[in-house]
Amino acid sequence: MEWSIGEDNIRYTAELADNEGKLTLTSIKKEGEEIIISDVSISHDLNFNRLMVDIDGIVRLVHIAKVKDSYWIHLDGRIHVINSHEIGYSNQKQNEGSLIAPMPGIIIDILVKEGQRVRKGQNLMIMEAMKMEHKIQSPKDGEVISISNEIGQKVDMGVILVEIAD
Amino acid sequence: MFPDWMNDAPNPYSSVLVANRGEIAVRILQSARELGIKGISIYSDSDANSLHVELSEEAIHLPGKLLSETYLNIDAIIEAAKISGAEAIHPGYGFLSERPDFAKAVVDSNLVWIGPSPKSIEIMGDKISARNKMLDSGVPIIPGEEIFIEQDEDYIGPLAAAAARVGYPLLLKASAGGGGKGMRAVYEPKNLKSQYEAASREASTAFGDGTVYVERLLTKARHVEIQILCDQKGNSVHLNERDCSLQRRHQKVIEEAPCLALSEQIRRLMGESAIKAANSVNYVGAGTVEFLLSSKGQFFFLEMNTRLQVEHPITELTTGIDIVQKQFEIAAGFDLNLNQADIRINGHSIEARIYAENPSKGFLPATGTLSKWRFPSGPGIRLDSGFREGDEVTIDFDPMLAKLIVHAPNRKLALRKLDTALSDFIILGVTTNLGFLRDIIKQEKFYTGKITTDYLDNVSESIFIPPEVDPSHIIAIASAAERLGVDRQLLGQFSGEMVDDYSGHIGDPFRTLSKKLP
Repeated sequence: MEWSIGEDNIRYTAELADNEGKLTLTSIKKEGEEIIISDVSISHDLNFNRLMVDIDGIVRLVHIAKVKDSYWIHLDGRIHVINSHEIGYSNQKQNEGSLIAPMPGIIIDILVKEGQRVRKGQNLMIMEAMKMEHKIQSPKDGEVISISNEIGQKVDMGVILVEIAD
Repeated sequence: MFPDWMNDAPNPYSSVLVANRGEIAVRILQSARELGIKGISIYSDSDANSLHVELSEEAIHLPGKLLSETYLNIDAIIEAAKISGAEAIHPGYGFLSERPDFAKAVVDSNLVWIGPSPKSIEIMGDKISARNKMLDSGVPIIPGEEIFIEQDEDYIGPLAAAAARVGYPLLLKASAGGGGKGMRAVYEPKNLKSQYEAASREASTAFGDGTVYVERLLTKARHVEIQILCDQKGNSVHLNERDCSLQRRHQKVIEEAPCLALSEQIRRLMGESAIKAANSVNYVGAGTVEFLLSSKGQFFFLEMNTRLQVEHPITELTTGIDIVQKQFEIAAGFDLNLNQADIRINGHSIEARIYAENPSKGFLPATGTLSKWRFPSGPGIRLDSGFREGDEVTIDFDPMLAKLIVHAPNRKLALRKLDTALSDFIILGVTTNLGFLRDIIKQEKFYTGKITTDYLDNVSESIFIPPEVDPSHIIAIASAAERLGVDRQLLGQFSGEMVDDYSGHIGDPFRTLSKKLP
């Protein structure tokens, strides 16, 4: 199993030694390279379905939830999302020029046409979700090669909205 | 059967229909239960299993996918009141709470309306008539004017002329807007057209009215509002101020009471102005008069919200007055039974609004299932929410998940309490602004109480980068969770006698090892 943190693409692997249900961290590799680790040992507090995590001798109670392929972790008052990936399965590198819908919503305005040159940061589309408007901006300078939606259309999160070529 | 306390009431009632949903419906239904009034709720398809339905004694389903068929459907709500035998209606905030036609429909159906008269709502709901009332009553106002634009009319000329008269920077507001919807700041004439289009579009989706109001934008000002209570006999008091300056795109994020920038003298003057504003429309019930407070200590009337306010809890905690309970009493015809001299400010209270949004992605709304939801509790901590663990967060409604409210003897202690409570709030499965809120309250500008309404919109997002975490810690935890099968427990397979796949232990390994938590 490989891991990535939040939106980050860096891949990690971890090795844990099992000692009667208590797992001790033995190694972490970041993009295949060994990194320095703390003394971490982890056990399952079944009564409350949380983890007892001992980092350098201090025990924390860590709440955790698995949602699809991600673990949501509440550690020291902050929430982190760690994604799991099958080993060797590389990230389908998203075409850097394609803009995907960052949330489910409705397209309420399209401000550019196919074939038009746009600048980085230029507003391309306006989406509405939760009664608020959100501007969809160009990630780079380039030409609009396709617009996959129409005004008034309802789109799901992750759907390609606009493709921009250099 | 009326509750005991209602026996001598001029307009007694024994049941109330709450024409709302979410945390405010929960808040009102809770007060109704405490007061012995039967609570009745309404719900749309997607709210069938919501907390507010669970807390009501009776719930009426309003079919339909659109808000206009459910929470904004006056006829259906009046019908629901008749079917359930409700004797009163509480509108909450948002939805129909500031619609004079709704208030009128309630009154015309011989139901007790928990709010001000339709006439008061109408005057205050219209920016022009509200301004004129304030002018007549000697309440200071900001320069501005309203533009009526017919659909498809060439609006640029009249809009630009009005903008030039008012002066830049200016604020475009949908006349019937509120809650940050349909409001846009314009700093230069060249952005007038695009901002107008955005404001009117937002206003017409949210409120069904595209009229726009142009107003001078006061920069480096604070948003300070006064809570007022008025009974049906003309007695009125104010419950002091709330500072709601920390806003993002005119949406309040953190509110506190009292306001650090208010001297005792300005507090008194602002309170008197708020009461003048309320009396000018013969106001009845709980209401809020919003002011902008300039850096020089001048204040200007912004608007009056003729309903309960989202941030009412901080006033409840600092004054000890239950505002919703007072609304119920006033509607029953009881005297206010409060003197201005008796209203004190006890300590400091802060409310943080927990939103389902992603601060690192331009505050885009987030959706998902609340897989884990453990909220903080303890002395001086209050949580108002309409959500429970397992609930879905969808794009159908406002992204506010909860209001976390703290109360302490002073601001410094209140901030410590808020930070601890935010760090103890466990929300897994939906991205929230919890971490962002912690980052904000640590900023020097906030900590020293120097926030003005433009702060969040102008500050660089890079100052809110959360503290670094060692990746090896969280990767180790995720990896261990996978091996220990934490998610399988969530699926209801948990049993004391279950054999753990990895360790081979039966039940809780710590029970067998007789280990205790440190």
